[in-house]
Amino acid sequence: MDYVVQSVVIGLTENAPLVLAAIGFALLYRLSGLINVAYSETITLGAYFGMWVNTTFGLDFYTVLIPAGLLAGLFSVATYLGIFRPAKRRNVGTLELIIVSFGLSIFLRYGLQLVFGYPVRYFDVPPPETIYVLGVGVGSFRLLAVAVVAVLSLLLYWFIQKSSLGLQIRALASDEDLAQVSGIRPLAVTVLIWFIAGVAGGLAGAFFGVGASVDPLLGWREFLFILLVVLVGLSWGLRGVILVGIGAGVALAAMTLQFSQGLYAQLALIVVFALILKWRGLRLTETGKV
Amino acid sequence: MLDAFLISGLFGVVMVIGLGLLLHLELGLARIANFGVVGFFGLGMYVFGVLYVRVDWPFGDPWVFLVCALIATAAAGLAGLIVGWLIADLNTDGVLVGTLAFATAVAIVATTEAELTGGAEGMGGLAFPYDIGKVTDNELLWLVIATLVVGLIFAFVRQVHRSPYGRLLVAVGGNEPLARSLGKATFRTKFWLFGVASAGMGLLGVMDAVMLRFLVPANIGVDVTLAAMVGLVLGGTARAWGAVLGAFLSVGLFDIVLQGYLPAPTEDWSAQTLPVLREAMFGATLVVVLLFRPLGVLGDMRRDQLMRRLHGR
Repeated sequence: MDYVVQSVVIGLTENAPLVLAAIGFALLYRLSGLINVAYSETITLGAYFGMWVNTTFGLDFYTVLIPAGLLAGLFSVATYLGIFRPAKRRNVGTLELIIVSFGLSIFLRYGLQLVFGYPVRYFDVPPPETIYVLGVGVGSFRLLAVAVVAVLSLLLYWFIQKSSLGLQIRALASDEDLAQVSGIRPLAVTVLIWFIAGVAGGLAGAFFGVGASVDPLLGWREFLFILLVVLVGLSWGLRGVILVGIGAGVALAAMTLQFSQGLYAQLALIVVFALILKWRGLRLTETGKV
Repeated sequence: MLDAFLISGLFGVVMVIGLGLLLHLELGLARIANFGVVGFFGLGMYVFGVLYVRVDWPFGDPWVFLVCALIATAAAGLAGLIVGWLIADLNTDGVLVGTLAFATAVAIVATTEAELTGGAEGMGGLAFPYDIGKVTDNELLWLVIATLVVGLIFAFVRQVHRSPYGRLLVAVGGNEPLARSLGKATFRTKFWLFGVASAGMGLLGVMDAVMLRFLVPANIGVDVTLAAMVGLVLGGTARAWGAVLGAFLSVGLFDIVLQGYLPAPTEDWSAQTLPVLREAMFGATLVVVLLFRPLGVLGDMRRDQLMRRLHGR
């Protein structure tokens, strides 16, 4: 029983940012059908923005979350307006668009080192207090991450599924032309989505960064898991992404407790997810551009 | 004679050309975006390294090298078949995940199995399968051998271009449902393509392992995949010469011209700034080329150019 409790508590608190990042990524993927590899740099930059505001202006971590999220959101919109929108207008194909986003990801990952410097950076915050949840010690920042993720997930879920703007977003995702003739302004709605996704990614990055260090590979290390969680979970909608994300987090924690090395847990999870994808599909569509 | 710097620089370019040529078969012809090039390359490198260093072979060196290289190439080919099976009926998103997951898995295993691979600290003990004197001479001969290997890969790719098999790959890449409706076994085509191309990537990993002589997981990072992709995309994904030209314009420019013949403006220039700038520029190149000249420097396939001339379009 201890083992189960430990897995659940550690899994939830350690991987809450992963769930948040996955929700942001899923929104983008659902709306544009685009696998945006550069989303990993939105996460990384969230951590860098947070660290920068924290160390430059001496704000505490809780206050820092607001500018970090907003800046990452604006940055995300900038990548859309600067790269992906022009690319779409030029009719760049799906495959090429993934390579474009991969190129952008690499460019940002290394370009930000020229701005923020090469050494690994750290948040300047007092060590988090340890709070005991069901007998398992957890850092206060991690608990905050869980709370933020829970609130934001519910808000986003409500926003997408229940609000009228959410309805517009879903309409745009399923049929852009039809949405346009119904009076929805695609640009405004699309920009909004990129902003929300960026905020989610940036906050996730800040939580990842405060828990360990801030380095250029921060987002990229999480990217494969975000991708796997979203591709497996999205067939049940946003709810599926959240549930699969939580499940993956708990499974990772459970296996890490069991194996000698945490990397084995990652390896096992990668294999399981890959097999699920093979089994469940992402099948090639049978209708081609005949 | 060439100095040590130029030899290692040219060797790097030759490796990228080889990987780019094999990626050309997948990405340029069959339109499968393999983001796990380094996985197959790294598997070849590490299988070779582990067999060469850890196993007590009863015979001497050129044979040890040949046997280990053969097994490593076969292992990479087998991994290619497995990944090929995984992704052959998935869409582009599935291919991205499958190949990326494979490359990550290889990097994880290279790190965790420290008793075999030396883990993060690395593994030494590799050597050239011959000894003709000075280190530079050995390296030069290895550069020549690697160039011959890549030359063979190039000849193979040219042959594919001219054969019915090449046309099948183009058909699968252009319109898979159509190819299938005409009775072509598209799944099997992709499956075997991955096996063969991955075996080639594994062999290149073996060649690189011998040149490096010390293996660390940092050798098999995403930058290898990036270099191959940039070389190919810049030169032209649809052309066999694309990978050759692109590798010289990207890796050759940065690792030979800028690294060796440009006076360093700052103290940490060649150690820190230039490598970071190199990757950033490679990333930017992918974006710019695909937005403004998607077919790279060389442009369309010769076949398509010819058709356009004949029919006018």
